[in-house]
Amino acid sequence: MPSTVIPLLVCDDSAMARKQLIRALPADWPVSITQATQGEEALQAIRQGLGQVVLLDLTMPVMDGYEVLAHLRDEGLKAKVVVVSGDVQEEAVRRVSDLGALAFLKKPADPDDLRRTLAGLGLLVPSTAKGPQTPPRAEPVLTVNFRDTLREVSNIAMGRAAALLARVLGVFVQLPIPNVNIFEVSELHMALTDAQRGERLSAVCQGFIGDAIAGEALLLFHDSEVADMARLIGVQPKGERDTSEMLLDLASLLIGACLTGIAEQIDVRFSQGHPQLLGQHASIERLIHLNRTRWKKTLAVEISYSLEGHDVHFDLLLLFTEDSLARLTDKINYLMG
Amino acid sequence: MAAQIDIDEVHWLLDIVQCLDVGVIVLDRQYRVEVWNSFMENHSGMGPSQVYGKTLFELFGEVDEAWFRRKADSVLQLGTRAFSLWEQRPYLLHFKNYQPITGHEDFMYQNVTFLPLVGAKGEVEHLCVVIYDVTAVAILKKQLAARGGQ
Repeated sequence: MPSTVIPLLVCDDSAMARKQLIRALPADWPVSITQATQGEEALQAIRQGLGQVVLLDLTMPVMDGYEVLAHLRDEGLKAKVVVVSGDVQEEAVRRVSDLGALAFLKKPADPDDLRRTLAGLGLLVPSTAKGPQTPPRAEPVLTVNFRDTLREVSNIAMGRAAALLARVLGVFVQLPIPNVNIFEVSELHMALTDAQRGERLSAVCQGFIGDAIAGEALLLFHDSEVADMARLIGVQPKGERDTSEMLLDLASLLIGACLTGIAEQIDVRFSQGHPQLLGQHASIERLIHLNRTRWKKTLAVEISYSLEGHDVHFDLLLLFTEDSLARLTDKINYLMG
Repeated sequence: MAAQIDIDEVHWLLDIVQCLDVGVIVLDRQYRVEVWNSFMENHSGMGPSQVYGKTLFELFGEVDEAWFRRKADSVLQLGTRAFSLWEQRPYLLHFKNYQPITGHEDFMYQNVTFLPLVGAKGEVEHLCVVIYDVTAVAILKKQLAARGGQ
């Protein structure tokens, strides 16, 4: 291998995200690509000299991107890291830059942005090959499945929602890896009961539909945390009505941003119904009456946000109807293609 | 909606917005009225010439300005929709009930949607306020609650 070839490491838990990123790389950039699915694998690869340049995701299982950056710093490993993340909070950008990342790109990475960023960092050395052009890079074969793709789409969407939430509340939002599952309706009830953790809940529900994809977004609030939320927003709810409105506003923000994020990626426009406050201070059984006779299965995307330094969590569920699956699969297949 | 709209269709579209049985108001970032459809005209008794360029707060004393600004600001700044429901706030604007003779309520219950309108530069430059008449639903729900059937 000629010495001008740069060892590049692409680290993301989503195969779909890695595929997208590898495709977005400048075609004339002479690199040899190694892939890692989480932080520990990334560190191993970097120690073996496979990551002179690293494209690093933040939200990953086992070891996340922040930890990778901290390890690199502590071990004095020389890797040039560009973070490519769905978590677009200003605080996230600040933290990774403090930890030594050279640049921050939001997902899905735009090829032109990526080229500009790499060139700006002096990493994109134009190929010195004498020939008219460098031979096309062999694209690694990656099998990407539906669930992985929808998880990545949700990941990007929830990152945007979190950035808005962070702005409104002035906090850092801890992002989880979204859960994507196809549930029997009876199992859904169990999952919801799980989310309840034995507490009283309030829930806001909003229907959406677009391009033959329909469903409901459900945001669950834990009653014990509502007072903390009000303090963060800087409102003092005078009674039940104000509290309801505060929950409604927060729900509209999170649901709206998340749905818009998903809609843009799969290229649909959703109509949204009026949100409904399903009830307050109730158990999940009282809040949600599932229409078991109509639906057998539902596709559920579960996202649990928590706020750093506060005991506040939101559980956002996007439930897609069984008959939306065909169209959603088409759309996702197109993204995977 | 069609991606390309010819000028004839613009006329129809304007007609449709005019005749919709929901209130449509477009406000600029200073809350001044720019669009006012016939639902708004008929229920408020004020024509476009009387309202154009005036703020919603000048026109309707009943609007809780602090509340409205909080809702509207989040729409303008964050670009996401906001909603107001009759259960929490029976109305935004105090309009008469559509059934002045047979109706039991004196005013129109309203659900309200606040939509961000993005301009050519990609910035939210206007705010669209859509007012739905939900009096019938509100009455039924209240009757049901009164009978302990909730």
